[in-house]
Formats: sequence, structure tokens, C-alpha cells
Amino acid sequence: MSDSKPEAVTGMGKSVPKGVQSSPLLPDFATVRRFFPIALLVVLCIAFSLLSPRFLTWSNLLIVLEQGTVLLVAALGMTFVIMAGSIDLSVGSIVALSALTAALTSDSLGAAAIIPAAVVGVLAGLINGIIVAKGKVPSFIATMGTMVIYRGIVLLFTKGAPVSIDGEGFLSTFADRTFGVPHSVIIGLILGALAFIILNRTVFGREVRAVGGGERVAALTGIRVVRVKVWMFAFLGALCGIAGLLQAARAMAATAQLGEGLELDVIAAVVVGGTPLTGGIGSISGTMLGVLIITLLSNGMNMIGVDPYLQNIVKGTVLIAAVFLTIDRKKIGIIK
Amino acid sequence: MRLLAQDLAKSYGETQAIDRVSIPLEPGRVHALVGENGAGKSTTLRMLAGVEKPDQGEMSLDGAPYAPVNASDAAGRGVALVFQEITINRSLTVAENIFIDRLRRFSGRLGLIDSRRVNQAAQAILDRLDLRISVSADLESLNLGQWKCIEIARALSTDPKVLLLDESTAYLDHREVESVLEAIRQLKNQGITIAFVSHHLDEVRSVADHLTILKDGHWVGSFATKDIAPDDIHRLMVGRDLSKGIYPPRPSVSDREPEEAIIFEARNICLGQELIEASFQVRAGEILGLAGLKGSGADGLFCVVGGDRPKTAGNMWLLGEPFQPATPADAWRAGIAHLPGDRTGEGLIVDFSVLENLLMAGFPRWGPFFDRRKAVTQGRELISRIGIKAAGVDASCRSLSGGNLQKVVVGKCLATRPKLLLLNNPTRGVDVGARLEIYQLIRDLVNRGLAVLLSSEDMPELLGMADRLLVFRGGRIVHEFLDAAATTEHEIVRYMT
Repeated sequence: MSDSKPEAVTGMGKSVPKGVQSSPLLPDFATVRRFFPIALLVVLCIAFSLLSPRFLTWSNLLIVLEQGTVLLVAALGMTFVIMAGSIDLSVGSIVALSALTAALTSDSLGAAAIIPAAVVGVLAGLINGIIVAKGKVPSFIATMGTMVIYRGIVLLFTKGAPVSIDGEGFLSTFADRTFGVPHSVIIGLILGALAFIILNRTVFGREVRAVGGGERVAALTGIRVVRVKVWMFAFLGALCGIAGLLQAARAMAATAQLGEGLELDVIAAVVVGGTPLTGGIGSISGTMLGVLIITLLSNGMNMIGVDPYLQNIVKGTVLIAAVFLTIDRKKIGIIK
Repeated sequence: MRLLAQDLAKSYGETQAIDRVSIPLEPGRVHALVGENGAGKSTTLRMLAGVEKPDQGEMSLDGAPYAPVNASDAAGRGVALVFQEITINRSLTVAENIFIDRLRRFSGRLGLIDSRRVNQAAQAILDRLDLRISVSADLESLNLGQWKCIEIARALSTDPKVLLLDESTAYLDHREVESVLEAIRQLKNQGITIAFVSHHLDEVRSVADHLTILKDGHWVGSFATKDIAPDDIHRLMVGRDLSKGIYPPRPSVSDREPEEAIIFEARNICLGQELIEASFQVRAGEILGLAGLKGSGADGLFCVVGGDRPKTAGNMWLLGEPFQPATPADAWRAGIAHLPGDRTGEGLIVDFSVLENLLMAGFPRWGPFFDRRKAVTQGRELISRIGIKAAGVDASCRSLSGGNLQKVVVGKCLATRPKLLLLNNPTRGVDVGARLEIYQLIRDLVNRGLAVLLSSEDMPELLGMADRLLVFRGGRIVHEFLDAAATTEHEIVRYMT
């Protein structure tokens, strides 16, 4: 079919790029894209286990999973937001706000402190969603604002001092282990399964995908785009609420700095896992792989004693390399 | 200049795009290339322009061998191509758009661009087209046809002797098309050899001296336009007899049921200045055509009825109930399906599967869950009912041709079993074969009680499909033709302008 019609035209003045040829360096792009995250994971595991005998052990694996849980829980929600073509920079601040809520209520409520923590997360997410979807403020700017605001609330409350947690019921539920497996890891995996079902098996998940694939198309087809976006941010907020609680439980305290810079790791994990910032495609399993890669990278580098400053350079390089190799330039066309 | 192409062939992988195509472009004459989508018209033009290299075949320019290695090589030999996509950059001025790739030529001392010289040179070219477009005009104040003329001016800036136009009039309305055709006539008078691709035979007949028909990548024949009847052109393009017309039969005025239920009624609805006090009814089993230039009211009406933008005044009723949609979702839920004019920007998501697009307006659900089994059944049903040629329900829409893509959008609209269907240019850029099927499908549904509002820039389509016609001008309904079959294009245009 050489004579296919120009398809985008009423968007006047927009030239339609012909399919960009795949780079001659990488003959089969689709395969690279599909298997890159898993290949990267395998390569990292082999490299680190050669360099450190303690790396590939059961106990270190559990440590990695425990370290990665907070990142995972937030990244699950972020997958929805990025798939819909939006972004949320306020996740670290929501985590801090919920951690504080959990710490303040853990003594009196015990394990039930998960409710206020999640509610605070949902509220913060709803505010993001309403500003973005109803107020039509670009999500990058809107959540950059709320990132500062939510962090400001935490600082105002704590005056910078940590709030320690010693509620026995709370800690035994969220920070303990059963048969050696940390409870937080179990919670993270349950949430992962839940996110998988919501994304792939519910109408809401289909609608999130449609909004990311083409917001104007989705709206004109009768999808309630505003509602979908608001709930998607609220869902991410809820997951950040739980992530904050788990983080506080692990540290046995909520600090004002908790979750600072988390948004970068969360976005990196989602993108390395194969969900492009342009939306429309992505998967929960990819995000799980992305989280493992980011966490393993830190864990392994710590274990073999890489200079912490150098670690940042490596992480940034991995992020760029992952996107360079996996981004589908045929679908994106113009990269800004 | 005389440009001859002999036995051109080109394949992309397994697909033979064109096979032994020959085209004679005579000096100072206009030559049209006609054929269905996928017939190889664009590929042929692109080879003449050096954008693609033929696998086989020879070309000559005034007797000398001609084998351009790329587009700028071809431009150097005097052959220029205007692409079918609109490539105007709205951040630049008219003059900058014309010289976009050669602005450096106008740089003065310090490397700064002398905008006065750019404007002068650009105006000189625009004046050749005799269209009264000023370089100082604001791009947003010009219409798509004038944009197309600016692109033609860009091609002229290399001073070509042969000008190739790839579907320059697709997406233009009646008046806009006229300015492009006028530009073609002007250039012909200046002795330029022109080849153009068009889906519209009336355009072909009004400007082309010769035409070449392609079908499925093969050369069918080259003719002098005056020697071949339109029906014969259609027959050769499609490969079957279309003398009975491409539009399905419709009930005559006397046969129409005056007692059919009123599906939708509007009374004095307004949308700012875009739509002023429009009142009309549409009954079950009726196609109401909306004629008018772009921005004359039909677009505004679709926005209001489809829930895309709220009306500023007036009242609407759907099935007798007051109807006030705040979003498109409200309109869909109430029983209105909307096929937008921009297929890929508004109609469907090309990166998604056929199934996902077909069912986007109402995913089959089981509580909050997406019912994939039901979805597949529904999807298969729609695919076979509408005749979508796809590898399966999960095939990506990217692999479909324009006509099939449009069938997916039609399918999406039908999946919700609407009472009222809004069709905005339903066959824009769709070839005759797929058109026939879409027309028949719509007429069948209308015969079973669907009500349709049809807006189209394709006048023969409006005349051929609509039962009744409203003509819009300046946001108002200025005339109603009770029997579209009994009117002529000429009469409608008189009310439109």
C-alpha cells in the first residue's frame, strides 16, 4: 500500500512525518524494545554476582525487594498516569505527607493507620487531578506546584523534626517479617497484582490507555476524560499513601525529608520498564522490571563499593541508554 | 518541458506498488493521475520528483535521460513536487514559509536575514499565481486552499518547468479548491507542465488536458480528457460498472413517510457567531444534508449537537426529551454517534488495535471489568458486517488503508446502536470502492430508522446521499431544499456564497 492517505490534516500546519527509518545499528528494533528491560536485568545480575559473592543470595534478594517496595508501589500508580500522557512530580511529597499521617496516627490506630494515610494520599491525588483535568493546567506544572505545597505542609507540621513511631501493632503489621519475607514486600506484590488487573481487565484501565493514545479521539468518542484523569491521579495518590506508610514503618519514623527525589526514581523505573512519556502504551510487568533494575543498580553498586557520587552518574547513564534503545521512534515521530 | 516515463516499476518488500506504469507529460499541458487508494498515483509522482527511485523503467526530460537521485537533484533539473500533506508552519510568516529551506540566501551582513528582500521575492512568486495573497497576510486569516497555494509558491521558488501536485485539493472546501484550480490554470498559461493527483473527477475534467488511469499499480490507459466519459473513467478505475451511480437509491419525496418520529429537533440554537439561531428537525429514516463553506455553521452545529462545545442559546430535543449535553460522553449516552472530520486526529487512534477502536465508545463490561470475550464477539461481528479488511481483531490500525480506517470509525459509531448519527465528511480521502460500501451501509441503516446529519465538502456526495438539504452561510441556515435529488450543485453553491 504505497498510496495511503495523509491522515492528519485538519490539525493544520502540522506536517506528517513519514515513518522514521530504524537505525542501521539496531536491525530489529521491536525485539530490542521488548526484551531490553529483562536483558538489562540479567546483565546486571551477572555482573554484580561476579563482582560480589554476597550479591546473589536469598538474604540480599529480600533486601533488594524490601528496598524496592516503596518505589514499586508508587511506580504502579505512576504507570497509569504516564500511560495517559500525564506526569506527577508530587509523588515524593505525597509519600512524605502520608508517612507523617501514618506516624501521627500509628499509636492510636495501630495497623488501621493505613486508612488515614491512604485517605491523605487520595486527597492529594484528587487535588492534582482536579487542577490538571478540570483546570486544564499541564500536569508537569500543576504537580511541580503541589510538590512544593505538599512538602511545605509536612515542614510546617514537623518544623523539620522527625516524628518517631513506636506503636507495636503498627510496626508488627508493616515492618515485620513472616517466614523471613518482609510484610511490605507481600503488600507490594498484592498491590502489583491489583494494578495489573485494573490496567488490563477493567474498563477504567482501557479508558486510561485510550486517553494516552489520543485524548481528543477519546473525548469525542464519549470517554469522560476529565473523570478518568481525576481518578487516575487519585489512584496514584492512594498508592503513594501506602508507599509513605511502608517507608515510615521501615524507618520507624517520618521525617520532613522523606521521599525527596523519589519522583525521579519512580519516573525512571516506569520509563525503563517500557512506558514512554508520550502515553498510550505500557505495562505493569514492565514497571516491575524497571523498579527491579533501578533498585538492583543501587544495591549492587553499594555492595561492590562504588563511590556514591559516581553512582548518580551511572544511574543517569542507564536511564538515557534505556530510553535511547527502547523508544519507538516510528510512533513518536517528533521528539521534543 | 516534456517529461516521459516508460514502464516504471517499484516494489516495497513483497508489495509491488506499481508495475509498468508509463506517463507522458506534454509541455504546457495539465495531466491528471486518477485511481483508487493504493493504485500507485503518489508513488508514481514521487518517482518523477526523485523522492523515490524506480526499480525499473526509464524517464526522459526533453529527450535527455532523467534519473534524479533525490528531490533537490530533480528540482535542479526543473521538476518540483508539492506533497499531499499540508506543510505550512504556522509559526513562520507567509514569505518564510515559501523560502523555508533557502532563507540563508537572503542573509546580509552579520548573517542576519533581510526580511524585506525575502518578502519582495515571495510576493513576486505569489503574484505569478494571481491570487491576491499578500506576503504580509496573517497565516491564520488565510484558508486551507490559500495555504496550499503558498506551498505551490514554495515549489515555484525553484523555478520549475514541471510541477507535480500530489492530491492538493483533498481536505479543501468548494471555494478553496477553486483557488488551487485557478493557480493551476495560471501556471499552465505560463507554459509550465503540470501533473496532479485527484480523487475528484469534476476537478480533473475542469483543468486537465490529459489523464492517466491507474489501478492496483498497473497502467490502465492514458486519454485526452475530452475523449473519455466520466462513467468510463470510473469503470476503468474501479474495474466494474458504475453507470448506475455510486449512491444507493433513496425514497422519492412522495414515498417519504411524513409521520416518521422526530428524532432530533433544534430551535434557535446558537454558538457565538459560528452558529446563529438554527432551527430544524430530523426524522427517523432520513438523511439531512448540511451544505456550506468551512466555518459557515455546519461545523458549529456538529460541536453543539455532539456535546463538544455547549450552545450559547436555544433548545434541543432528542426523542422528545430536552437534550443538553455537557460533554461528548453525554451525547453518546443519549444515542448520538459522531464521526468527526479528521480521521486520525479525532476519529481513531492508529496505534491501537481494530478491536480497541471499534469498541472505544462503549467497552463491553461486567461490573467494573472489561469483558474481553464479549468484546471479541462484538468486534468480529462489526468487522464482518462492515467489511473491514484486517488481519484480525487485534491487528493494529496502522496496517490498514484509508478506506478501511474509515470503516473502523463507522463501525465504532454503529457499535453503540445510535438513534442519530453525525457524519462529518464520512468519505474524505476514501476510494470509490470503499465509498460504495459505506454509502450502502448508511442507507440500509437509515431505511431501518436511523436519522443522519451529513456534512460534507464533497458536493456530489451531499446531493447523492441526502434526502433533504440545509444550506448554511455566515452561521445561519439560509435555505432548505426539500428534495436533494431534485436540485443541482450550481443551485446550492448560489446559496452558499
